[in-house]
Amino acid sequence: MADVETNNSTAPQDRSPQGRSPQGRLERRSVLRLGGGAMAAGLAAFGSLGLTGCSGDGAGGLDGGSGSGAKGDPKKGKISVWSWQGPAAELKALVPEFNKTHPGIEVTVEDIGNPAIWDKITAGMAAGGQGLADVLHIGVDYLPGYVERFPGGLADLAPLGAATHKDAFAAGLWGTVSPDGKKVNALPWEANSAGFYYRADLFEKTGVDADALQTWDETIEAGKKIKAKTGAHLLGIDKPASQPDAANFFQTLLQLQGAFYFDLEGRITLDSPEAVRALTLIKTMNDAGLVSDLAGGWNALMSSLKKGTNAVVPYPTWFGGIIEEQVPAESGKWKVRLPPAVRRGGTTAATVNSTHLAVSGSSQHQSAAWAFVEFALTRPASQVKIYRGKGIAPALMKAYDDNVFHEPSTFFSGQRKGEVFLAALKAQSPAVNYTSDYARALKLVTDAQSKVLLKGAEPAKVLAEAAADLARQTGRKAAK
Amino acid sequence: MTLAPPVAATGARRSGAPAARRRRRPSPAPYLFVLPALLLFAAFKLYPIGWSFVMSLHRKVAGADTFVGADNYLRLLDDPLFWTALRNTGVILAVQVPLMLALATGLAVALNSTLLRGRSVFRLGFFLPMVTGLVAYGIAFSVLLNKEYGLVNWLLSGLGIGPVPWLTDGLWAQISLGLALTWHYTGYNAVILLARLQNVPKELYDAASVDGAGAFAAFRHVTLPGLRPALLLTTVLSTIGTLQLFDEPMVLTGGGPDNATLTIGVYLYRNAFSYFDFGYASALAYALTVLIGLLGLLQFRLLGDKGSTS
Repeated sequence: MADVETNNSTAPQDRSPQGRSPQGRLERRSVLRLGGGAMAAGLAAFGSLGLTGCSGDGAGGLDGGSGSGAKGDPKKGKISVWSWQGPAAELKALVPEFNKTHPGIEVTVEDIGNPAIWDKITAGMAAGGQGLADVLHIGVDYLPGYVERFPGGLADLAPLGAATHKDAFAAGLWGTVSPDGKKVNALPWEANSAGFYYRADLFEKTGVDADALQTWDETIEAGKKIKAKTGAHLLGIDKPASQPDAANFFQTLLQLQGAFYFDLEGRITLDSPEAVRALTLIKTMNDAGLVSDLAGGWNALMSSLKKGTNAVVPYPTWFGGIIEEQVPAESGKWKVRLPPAVRRGGTTAATVNSTHLAVSGSSQHQSAAWAFVEFALTRPASQVKIYRGKGIAPALMKAYDDNVFHEPSTFFSGQRKGEVFLAALKAQSPAVNYTSDYARALKLVTDAQSKVLLKGAEPAKVLAEAAADLARQTGRKAAK
Repeated sequence: MTLAPPVAATGARRSGAPAARRRRRPSPAPYLFVLPALLLFAAFKLYPIGWSFVMSLHRKVAGADTFVGADNYLRLLDDPLFWTALRNTGVILAVQVPLMLALATGLAVALNSTLLRGRSVFRLGFFLPMVTGLVAYGIAFSVLLNKEYGLVNWLLSGLGIGPVPWLTDGLWAQISLGLALTWHYTGYNAVILLARLQNVPKELYDAASVDGAGAFAAFRHVTLPGLRPALLLTTVLSTIGTLQLFDEPMVLTGGGPDNATLTIGVYLYRNAFSYFDFGYASALAYALTVLIGLLGLLQFRLLGDKGSTS
C-alpha cells in the first residue's frame, strides 16, 4: 500500500475562490431586479460573458476549462461518488479500507443507476456543475462528449499527479482519458474486452465444439443445429431498441473488424463495408430464426438467462460476474471464450468499452476526491477486491499479477476466465474514436438495426441512410 | 409552457376617472403583495423562457457558444426526425383526442344520469387515474403490456389470442400509447364536461320532451350545444397536452420502436440531454410553442362561441 502514497502534498494548494458561481449569478440576478427582465439579462450576458451560463463553464462556477488543479484539503472533506449498480456497490465496499489511510475524508457512494446517471450528469454539467457529485463514474461512450461540450466540467487531474500513472493501464486507454497528452480528464477503471459466454451443455447436446468455431458464419451454422436440437436461440437482441444499448452486439462485430462509427479524424464511417458486413450477419441470424427478442432491456436479458433462451451471450468481460450472480445454480454449465472472428483469420480481441472515474470541475474537494479515485483505481489490491466481488475487469495491468485472474473458475467449468480476457487485453486493440457525437450515432444505428430486425430492411440501405442523417445532424463529413 | 388564450389587452385605462382619485397617490401595497410571486415568476419562468430563445440562436462549436442566427430553425425544417415527431403527434391529435373526448362526453352524460346509483363513487373512480404520477403509470403500463410477461398478454392468451407486440411493433406501440393516454385523461375531461352539463337548465330538456324529442334528439339539440364551451376547453387543453407529450412515450417506449412513438417532447429531451445540443433543443421548444399557439387560435376560431347560442 505504500505505492499509493498520494502525491497531493506536492500539489499546489490553490485556495483562490475561483469562478465563484454565487457571484456570477448574483450579478445577473441583480440585473434582473433592476427591472432589466430576462431579455436584458440575456443581452447583458451576451455582451460580457458570451453565453457561458447555460453551457457549464464560466458563470456556472467552473473555471472556463483551465482545469482547476488541486482544490480543497487532500486529507479532509466530505465527498460524494456517483456510480451505478455493481460498481457502486464495490466502491462502497472500498470505503472502510480507504478510511484507514484517509480518516478525514467522508465518502458517500450513490447508486444513480444506468442509463439514468448520464442524464443526471448532463443536467448537472449544463447547470454549471450544480449538484454534481465530486467523483463521477463515466463510460467511454460519454467521456468525450462531456469533455468537448462542457469545458471545465471535469477537473484536470494532471496537476494532482495523474500523469504518474500513465503507463499503469492497459494499452490504448490513456489516449481515451488524455486525448491531448497533457490534460487528464479521468482515470481508467474497467477495461472490457468482447466476450462469448455460452451454455456448454447446449453445445454438447448438439455435438458442436464451441472452441473450434473460427468465424461468425460457422457460428450461425452451429446456431441452426442448436435451435433444431434444443430449441434455444443462438443469441438475443433488444430488437425494437427499447434501451440505448441495443446495438452492443453490432458494435462488437464492428470492432472485431477494427472499425467503428467514426474514423480517427472524426469522419463518419457508419456505412463502411465492415458495418454492412456486421449488420448483414445479424440479419442472417435473424432471418434464420436464431435471434430471440430481448425487448425491455436488462430485465428481459436477465429472464432470458434464467430461462436459458439463448445458447450464447456475446457480452464483454463484466458480464461474467452477472451470470454467476443471476444463475448460481447453473454452475458448470457455462463456458467463456473470445468471440469468433468476422472474417476467417481475423482478430478475436476487441476492447469494446471502458469506464473511468473523473472528478467534477465544480467540486470543492477535488484533492480529497482525487485521493479516493487514486485509491480505488491505481492500487492493485482495490482492483482485485472489486474483481472478486463483481468480476469487473480492471484496466490496471498490475492487478493481473494477482492469483484471482489465474484461478480456475468453478462456475465456468474450471476455465481460467481471467486469463481468457487478459489475453484479449494484451492483444493490440485499435484506438476507437467515440467523438462527442457518439450518442447520436448510436441512436441512428439502433434504429437502423430495428428496421432490419423488425421489418427485414436491407443493411446497406439503412446504414447509408443513417450515415446521411448523422452527417446532416452533426455537420461531420463522410469518410469516403 | 402553457398557452393563455388571447385576451383583449386590459391595459386601457378608462378615461374620465374622477379627479379625486387622480390626486391620491396609488398605494404601493398591492404591488408589494404580488412582488414575491412576480419575482419568482420572472426568475423561474420568464428568465428561462427568454434565455431559451437566446440559446436557440446559438450552437456549440468546440465547447464555445457561437451565434448562428436562424441556423437551428432552418435545420429543423430539414430534419426528418422532426417531421416524424410532428407526424406522430399529429396522429395522436387526430385519432386519440377525438376518441377520448367522445368517450369523456359519453361518460359525463352517464355520470349525470339520475338512473345511476352511487354516482360519486363512479366519478371518483374515473377521475382517479388523473392523480397518478405520469412516470408511475407509464411504468405500470409498460409492465402490463410487456410482450412476454405482461398481464394483458397473459389474459389474452387465455382467450387463445397470441402474444401481441404491444410495445415492440410500431403500430402497436402507437396504439398502446393511445390506450395509456385515454386511461389517464378521459376521466379528467369527463369531470370538466360534467361540471358544464350540470349547468344546462332542466327546463330545456322538459321543453324538448314536450316537443316530442327522444333521448338522442335531446342529446343532439340540447346537451351538445350546452357542452360547447366545455368541449372547446377540453379540446384546447388536450391539444396542448398532446403537443407537449413527453412522459408517457419516454417511459413506455423511449420514443421507439424505430421512432414510431417519437414526440416533439422526447426529441427535444434527447437533443438536450443525450446530445448536449441545447441550442437545437431550444429551437425545437420555440417551434413547438408557435405550433401550439397557432393550433389554439385555430380551435378558438372553429369551435369558439360565435354569439349565436345561449
